[in-house]
Formats: sequence, structure tokens, C-alpha cells
Amino acid sequence: MNSVNSAILDASTGWAILAGFSLLWVALGWYWGRNAGQLDEYVLAGRRVGLALGTATAMATWVTSNTTMAAPQLAFQIGVWGMLGYSLGSIGLLLFAPLATRIRSLMPNGYTSGDFVRIRYGNTAWRVFLAISLFYSLGWLVSMGMAGGILIHALTGIPYHYGMTVILAICVGYTLLGGFRAVIGTDFIQALLILVGLVVIAFLAIGKVGFSSIHSAVLAERPELLNLLMPAAIMFLFNNLLFGIGEVFHSNVWWSRAFSFREGVGFKAYTLAGLLWAPIPIVAGFVALAVPALNINIPAADMVGPMVAADLLGVTGAVLVLIMVFAALSSSLDSLLAATSILIVEDIYRRHFKPHASAEQMRRAAARIIVGLGVLTWILCAPRLTTLAELLYFTGAFVASTIWPIAAGLFWRRTNPAAAVAGMVLGSAAGLYSYFAIGFYVAALVGAAVSMVCVLLGTWLAPRAFDWAQLREDHPLHMDTQS
Amino acid sequence: MTMPLTVFSALVLGALAITTAAPLLLLALLIRDWKRKQLW
Repeated sequence: MNSVNSAILDASTGWAILAGFSLLWVALGWYWGRNAGQLDEYVLAGRRVGLALGTATAMATWVTSNTTMAAPQLAFQIGVWGMLGYSLGSIGLLLFAPLATRIRSLMPNGYTSGDFVRIRYGNTAWRVFLAISLFYSLGWLVSMGMAGGILIHALTGIPYHYGMTVILAICVGYTLLGGFRAVIGTDFIQALLILVGLVVIAFLAIGKVGFSSIHSAVLAERPELLNLLMPAAIMFLFNNLLFGIGEVFHSNVWWSRAFSFREGVGFKAYTLAGLLWAPIPIVAGFVALAVPALNINIPAADMVGPMVAADLLGVTGAVLVLIMVFAALSSSLDSLLAATSILIVEDIYRRHFKPHASAEQMRRAAARIIVGLGVLTWILCAPRLTTLAELLYFTGAFVASTIWPIAAGLFWRRTNPAAAVAGMVLGSAAGLYSYFAIGFYVAALVGAAVSMVCVLLGTWLAPRAFDWAQLREDHPLHMDTQS
Repeated sequence: MTMPLTVFSALVLGALAITTAAPLLLLALLIRDWKRKQLW
């Protein structure tokens, strides 16, 4: 089946919806960013974000191609454990809640997760960490750029490259104009759109097909999807848990939010975001399990979500899905663009090349890097080389190896820096080996386990004391901004 | 071991209930923050 022929929205309707929301996001980005002249305002929204916006931005950012594309895909491939496994991604947000409080109190003037690793563990660990973090950020950016192209193509027939280009250009545009304030403000609206869209689709699926028909059709045609003892799926569940924790613990997307939240907000915002996010992959995955009952021909596994929605809901529903998907992808893309740009500006541009750069120079560099990241993502998305889940889980080997160095570094004064380096390097290598030797569903599991052994064993054999006060040093950029 | 229909339905309905309540909760928090002048 050709998705262009099966698209239930015509391309002109698709273009109209994309144009309307693109204008809205860009206008809001300009409006919210018009006073963000200073560096702290542009990259951290002035460090005064409240609970409502904080919760919504954490939740909306975590609703990515994971929930709109890969959760239905995995439910379709490995059944109920796919849904539940994705849901465990919320544990990363929940466990980051106390870390957010700790980060805010240890580094009240901090900018990036790289700042922490550099001061806490030294330059070697910092550079290894940067390599992992930037690789992951790029993988996430590319997976979402691809998701945008695939979804828009599936729903409207608009060619993959056009859809992918539009979503990247719009996110770059409003993030560039409004900085972090635009990211957080649009995230709130996008969170509402995602939640309402998902609820409508799920209720219509239940009303149109019903639990009993969905359950019996899956049982008759693909009983393995309801098998609670499917070994690969159970491995996936634990793997996804660790992958999610690794993603959240290390990524500057979450650290920059911890820095930007008003004092006392971090713990509540991340806890609430985790609790509200957890059911979303279950609802999205449930929609995919309607495939046997609906007797739909799925041309590619990563198109299962939009194909089911299109079959269930007709034209009005397809409009809703397109809006929801556009919101889900934008909310993550903008966050990644903003957080990765400040990571590159602070940890590479300033720390490696321009140690005396002023706040104004940093702000201009951040804007240029947002554009550069957009262009690079477009180049990598263009060939559409792999499926979304494969791309996403390839990075799992790397990020899971950072869990122990980050958590131990934040709470355990005696953590050995060399052990942290070994944990990241050996954990990544072991995770990568298991990805190719066993499967995508064990990469994070192995990476985290090896990293844990390195950090615990290394620190037990050779503990190194650390003075927490070093992390509280006034940041030159912060002082420059305040002056 | 197959997941029974009742467990399957309860799982999805529970998830759906939280997802339905989430936007209302976010809006309530937004109004509260706005009244306290703590939006951002």
C-alpha cells in the first residue's frame, strides 16, 4: 500500500494546517522573546519559570516521536510490554525530580550539564561526556526530523522532504526569535494539544471498535502481543527504563530546565510531569493494537500510529492527528535546539575557543548555533537511512552509561573521577557491542550495568573527596549578564 | 500467559483517565501561577 494513495487529507489541507500553526508558533516566539535581550533571559527564561509552565514543558518535551510514532510501533511489534516499557520512560522524569533540586542548590548560576561534569570530574570526563551528549542530541534531533517528514507524508501525502523541512524550519525560526521563553510558552500550548488529541483518538477507537473486539482480534491474529511472558519484550521493558533514566539524567534539555525553574519548583514540576506522562504511551500504544481488528495493511512499522488514526477517524480526525503530531514534535525539537545550542556555546565555543567571550557574544553565538543545528539535522534526515526506533535505541548504549557518573557525582562526595570516565567509556562500548550482538532492546541495560560496576568498584577501591562549594562558583557569564 | 480482557481494559481506561485529567490540571496550575505572578 502506498501512503500517498492512502493519505486521507489532501496536500492543500495539510499545507494550510502547517502554515497556520507555523505562523502561530513564530508569532508567539517573537512576542515572548521580544524582551529576551540578556543571555539569562534568552537561554534560561530568566531562571523564574513557575510550576504550570515547568510541568508542561517537561511533559511536552518528553512526548516526542516516542509517543506519537515509536510507542505505537513498539506496541505493534512487541505488544503490551511495548506500551508498558515506554511508559516506564516516566521513571526518568520522576527520578530527576530530586536531582533538579540538588542541581539548583549546588549550581545556582550554572548553565549546562557540561559545567557540572567539568567541575566535578575534570576535563577528560567532561570531553567524554560532551561527545556522548552531543551524539545523543543529534540522534534525537534526527529521529524527530524524520518523524515529522514520515507523519506529514502519511497523513497528507506531502513528500517526506517537504514535511521534514517545514517542521525543522519552523522550530528553528521560533526558537531563534524567542529563545527559551518561546520554547516554554509554546510547550504549554503544545502539551494541551497533544493531550486533547490523544484523548479524542482513544475514545473514538474504543467507541468505534471496542475493547472486546480489539482484544479478541489481537488474540486470534497475533497472540504474542498479549503474551505477558515474552522474553524479548520483558528485556525491552527494563532496557527502556534505563534508557529513559540515562536520557534525562545526562541531557542538557533537562538540566537547562532545572536551572531555569524558580526555586522550589523543580521537584514538583518533574514529579508531576512524570505522573502525567506515564499513561500517554499506553494510550498511544493501545491505538496500534487496533490494527488486527481494523484489518489495516501497515506498509512500514513506524507508520502504524498515523495509519490507524487515519483509518479510524476520517478527515476530521486526520486534521486532529496532524495538529497533535506537529505539536508533539515541535515541543521536543525546540527544546533540543535551545538546550543543545547553549551546551555547544558554553562547553565548546567558550570553554575551548573564546574564554573571554561576553554575554552578548554568547547570545549571538547561541542564535547562530540554533540555525546550524537545524541545517545539520536536515542534512542527516534527508537520506532517511533507518527506522525511528532503531535510531533512537542506538543512542541508548551511550546515554545509559552516564546514569551512574551523574547520580553518584551529584550525591556521593567520594565518587572517583577516573571511575566515572571508565563507566562512560566502557559502558558505552559494552552497550554498543550488545546492540549489534544481541539486539536494540539490551543496549541501555548492558551500558548501565557496566557503568555501575565501574563507578562503584572504582570509588570503593580509590575514593576521592570533593568539595561541593566548587560547584557554587559564580559563573563569569552570569556576572557579566547581571552587570 | 495472556493478558486477560479485563486487565487490558482496566490498564487502558486508567491511563485514559489520567490523560483526560492532565490538561485540566495544567490549566488550573496556570491560573494559580498567573494570579500569584509566578508564571515566569
